Amino acid sequence: MIQTQNLSKTFRVHKKVAGLAGSVKSLFNRQWLDKQALRDVTLHVGSGEILGLVGANGAGKTTLVKILAGVIHPSSGSVSILGHNPWSRSNDFRRQISLIMGQKAQLWWDLPAEDCFLLLREIYQIPHPQYKQNLEYLVESLGVKDQLNIQIRRLSLGERMKMELIAALLHTPRVVFFDEPTIGLDLTAQRAIRNFILEYRKLHKPAMILTSHYMEDIERLCPRIAIIKDGQIVYDGDLARVVNTYANHKILSVEFETEVSPAQSPKAFAALNAEVIFQDSSTVRLKVARTAVAQVAGQMLQQFRVKDLSIEEEDIGNIIEKLIRRDKDVSGKIVTPKL
Amino acid sequence: MIRYLRLYGYFLQFSFSKAFEFRIDFYFRILMDVVYYIMNLLFFKVIFLHSKYLAGWSESQVMIFVGAFIVVDALNMTVFANNSWNVAQLVNRGDLDYYLVRPVSTFFFVSLRDFAANSFVNLIMAVSILVWAFMKYPEPIGLLRTLLFGLLVLNGSLLYFLVLMLFIIPVFWTHSARGLQPLFWTTSKFMERPHAIYSRVVRWVLMTIMPFALMASVPASVLFAPNPWAITLGSLLVTVAFMSLVLFIWSLGLRNYSSASS
Repeated sequence: MIQTQNLSKTFRVHKKVAGLAGSVKSLFNRQWLDKQALRDVTLHVGSGEILGLVGANGAGKTTLVKILAGVIHPSSGSVSILGHNPWSRSNDFRRQISLIMGQKAQLWWDLPAEDCFLLLREIYQIPHPQYKQNLEYLVESLGVKDQLNIQIRRLSLGERMKMELIAALLHTPRVVFFDEPTIGLDLTAQRAIRNFILEYRKLHKPAMILTSHYMEDIERLCPRIAIIKDGQIVYDGDLARVVNTYANHKILSVEFETEVSPAQSPKAFAALNAEVIFQDSSTVRLKVARTAVAQVAGQMLQQFRVKDLSIEEEDIGNIIEKLIRRDKDVSGKIVTPKL
Repeated sequence: MIRYLRLYGYFLQFSFSKAFEFRIDFYFRILMDVVYYIMNLLFFKVIFLHSKYLAGWSESQVMIFVGAFIVVDALNMTVFANNSWNVAQLVNRGDLDYYLVRPVSTFFFVSLRDFAANSFVNLIMAVSILVWAFMKYPEPIGLLRTLLFGLLVLNGSLLYFLVLMLFIIPVFWTHSARGLQPLFWTTSKFMERPHAIYSRVVRWVLMTIMPFALMASVPASVLFAPNPWAITLGSLLVTVAFMSLVLFIWSLGLRNYSSASS
């Protein structure tokens, strides 16, 4: 449903030397800098699939989403969404997509949500019975029935985001772009929105692309992720595989039967070739290389009187974080696994 | 088309319910415009203290012209002004995004979304001034000419908006807060005088490439001039040309839209 081919986007920004002197200079002799926001992005998202787009600030996530939604034009490459070229912005295309940006409100502040929805019904030409049914379902599952007639600016951030979601989904789009839909929300609201997205997916099977800085969004919603760094897709594949491919460590937690005296323990653990993450008198958490886990665990059992021992995978968010932040020369080594 | 009318119906409805909430702004706008109207009427009254005719126009004709010009101004303040002032912000802050993804003409949405309900009272006052000028006119004015005049006043308002947009759309490239609007405000002063006072060359310019004469002065002249049909047709043609030009430049602007990152 969404297919991109070697998509690139270059912004031309002018380079300004700091200060007033620099401003005056740039008035006469302006230096331009080409900033490559996207390079050769090739992606495919099918119906019913949620692709999580992960990357640091300025990596190109939002640019990609905006190109796909037809808001901005790419410099080169092609996109086909439901057979349409997004930036020709045909009404037929625009009727079938939706764009939700956590940072930008689409609803009008001075109006109650329901008025905005009526306008959207007119814009999308949603037939009456279908409008009623959709609205009822959306309002019900997001639990905002009582807020429908309150002006948007009087709603809480969470309620407002829910209204934004309703506004975006009233016309049952077949392709949905979420750009940080949970930004700034409290945990309850985040969870409600996540659950809703999952339920909506089950019901309508749209193709979705989601960007977020919250790893929990990604973990809960996206079985597949694409990691974008400096405008390039450096990983595109299963979320689970990220762990297998890139996690070098596991976390070993040990609870001792007797107290380990602090004086002797650091030495003992250091000898184990492990890094201490946390330690108090009777427990310790160690970061151990994947290959050494069995050996270290064995040694622990030999040297101490262990009450309980558990081995966990490294936090997936940390792994992705590391992937995103890696230096250039290292990122060169990242291989996109075959799909 | 009907769909667009229905959409406009919603815009009106929203604007009115919003306008009544901000009362101070509501009264202030009335005061501001009343002063403006009076200043314009007085200006010409003073001229006619010293002369019986102004470039061939009698005082009662000029009063109709002033009425027309005030109505064109009020129509613009009511229908287009808020929207045209908003364009720079939509472009510079990237708020155009949501307009672009809707399956309706983005230009329609951007031009007409914000109806200034609080200027509506001014529009009624402006029309009253025009009616007053009509009633004071010593000779009878035919119905046909009156209708053509009405049409040309509406056309003049649209043309005013289109020319203004030509000066605003450059924000897609300049990213300045107002585009070239100050340039427009300066040149639009031509609209506030009857075009008969200018030399031939200037008149020609004002009726073609910078059509400020077509906004109020030429519409007024349709009531007295010998060839009302030619004037009407010419004015409409200029509007069509400007409409096409604006839409073309608008589409170039959208191509260049970079959507400020969120």
